[in-house]
Amino acid sequence: MEVTEQEINHLAMLSNFSLEPSEKDALKKDLSGIFKYIGKLDELDTSGVEPTYQVFEMKNVWRADEIINQDADREALLALTKEERDHQIKVPKVL
Amino acid sequence: MARKYEITIGIECHVQLKTKTKLFSEVDNDARGKEPNSCVSPVDYALPGMLPRLNGEAVRLAIRAGAAMNAKINPDSRFDRKHYFYPDSPKGYQITQFYHPIIGEGFVELPSGKKIRIEHAHLEGDAGKLTHFDTYSLVDLNRVDTPLLEIVSMPDISSPEEARDYCKELWRNMVYAGVTNGDLYNGNMRFDVNISLKKPEDTKLGTRAEIKNLNSFRSIERAAAYEYERQSKLLDKGEKVIQETRGWSDATGVTTGQRSKEEAQDYRYMPEPDLPPLSLTQDFIKAEYDKCPALPADYRARFTKVITEDTLEVLLDYPELVNRLAEIADGGQPVDYIANLFASVLLAEENQSLLNDNLPSANQLTELAAMKSKNELSSTSAKEVFIKLFEPKHCDKTPLELAKELNLVQENDSGALEAIVDAVLAKPETAKAQADYKAGQEKVLGFLVGQVMKESHGKANPSAVSEILKKKLK
Repeated sequence: MEVTEQEINHLAMLSNFSLEPSEKDALKKDLSGIFKYIGKLDELDTSGVEPTYQVFEMKNVWRADEIINQDADREALLALTKEERDHQIKVPKVL
Repeated sequence: MARKYEITIGIECHVQLKTKTKLFSEVDNDARGKEPNSCVSPVDYALPGMLPRLNGEAVRLAIRAGAAMNAKINPDSRFDRKHYFYPDSPKGYQITQFYHPIIGEGFVELPSGKKIRIEHAHLEGDAGKLTHFDTYSLVDLNRVDTPLLEIVSMPDISSPEEARDYCKELWRNMVYAGVTNGDLYNGNMRFDVNISLKKPEDTKLGTRAEIKNLNSFRSIERAAAYEYERQSKLLDKGEKVIQETRGWSDATGVTTGQRSKEEAQDYRYMPEPDLPPLSLTQDFIKAEYDKCPALPADYRARFTKVITEDTLEVLLDYPELVNRLAEIADGGQPVDYIANLFASVLLAEENQSLLNDNLPSANQLTELAAMKSKNELSSTSAKEVFIKLFEPKHCDKTPLELAKELNLVQENDSGALEAIVDAVLAKPETAKAQADYKAGQEKVLGFLVGQVMKESHGKANPSAVSEILKKKLK
């Protein structure tokens, strides 16, 4: 399956990436290759086969409802963000 | 009101579950009054390598909520990622249950008896909170992954009033079931109302608009009524309703179109690989299902003969009051008088602050009702004792102790009453009234009863006094 420029633009918008024309060309080529490789699986008839959601076969993994103090405190976590203001994360205006 | 168009309404409700910790991390779930970003873990920040861990209590509460909606619980459910880019979600996706929700079909029965069907309900994490300023926005992640149960109704609702009734009944059921604090002011339950109009003869539903994020019953009713007017005007003019999300303003009383979060509604749902699926046994489900206590519908059935419908509907908004009535009824005692005290005295505007105080016990209330029925307290005095029982300094006393302390116990002892009556009749200023009464002017009896009440400092039982006077003045 060939990935179109339009699809690359759509994905870039959904992923919040801005891409140079040369990057788009490279991605188009790489993604098309990946689709072609994965597309091999379409040759198999999987009707009636239960989809595989996970490979570990675990189920009902949950924890108790108890508060645990976190090693990373508020300031340490806020320090990881680009910009902070009044203990909040400052971002460009969105609406 | 006769309407030209038929209204079809379906409602999605987000219920905040009252767990101690968040849905996927072990931090405090109650951020009320706390500093921004103070209830946040590296998982909520979606730092690389952080993995969500499911809160088992949220699963249990979801099952109990399902019981409160007469719903089928799906033993097998799982989580999915719903992708979108917005600063309220550091992960870049919301963890929800898109394909296999935990709760299947159910229904909510309105006070009118109409059943609104539930399509399904699923667990999901909430998003963070944004505050917008002139050139920037601030992000508070305290609310990220607070556990929500999203309850999706079928489009069975056919008027703005019914939309209000459904939301209110759903709120009551969730509060009675104990799955949420139900604090509407703090957004513990938020409603999205989908509404469309069609002509009665049309078989196909009209195009719907969705009013997002309503958090009071009154605004739900008003917004739906406004939306009926808006859409019917468009249809009258031969124009089309656009399928869109709209916001409601209580201040202006109108809905306005909103721009969507992401222009392309392409959420690219995929199974959440970090959370193993749920596969619940019937025993586990039954154990949680059975924890659902009596609901408003059960109380309606139980109290229908003893409490008037209007009074009961008022009281049902206050689970602690209804539970107390149930406790009294469990003890084989009558509840009608207490129910009236709750509705007409406690919930009167000037006394509502008492709700924050100590609610008298079943024993105290039963004794108070008995004193009233034995005429040991006049109805005014009974109300006074009732109000005082809420005060911390009086809350450990019996109504009798308190009534004595306040000098309110009514004198019913006929010997004592007769002595007071005799004293009053001996007074020269009552001589004319006595003569008038004997001459057939029965209404002067009221004056004489008043004199005796005064002499007894208000403690005599007026009807007993009246009987004694009639006997003595024969």
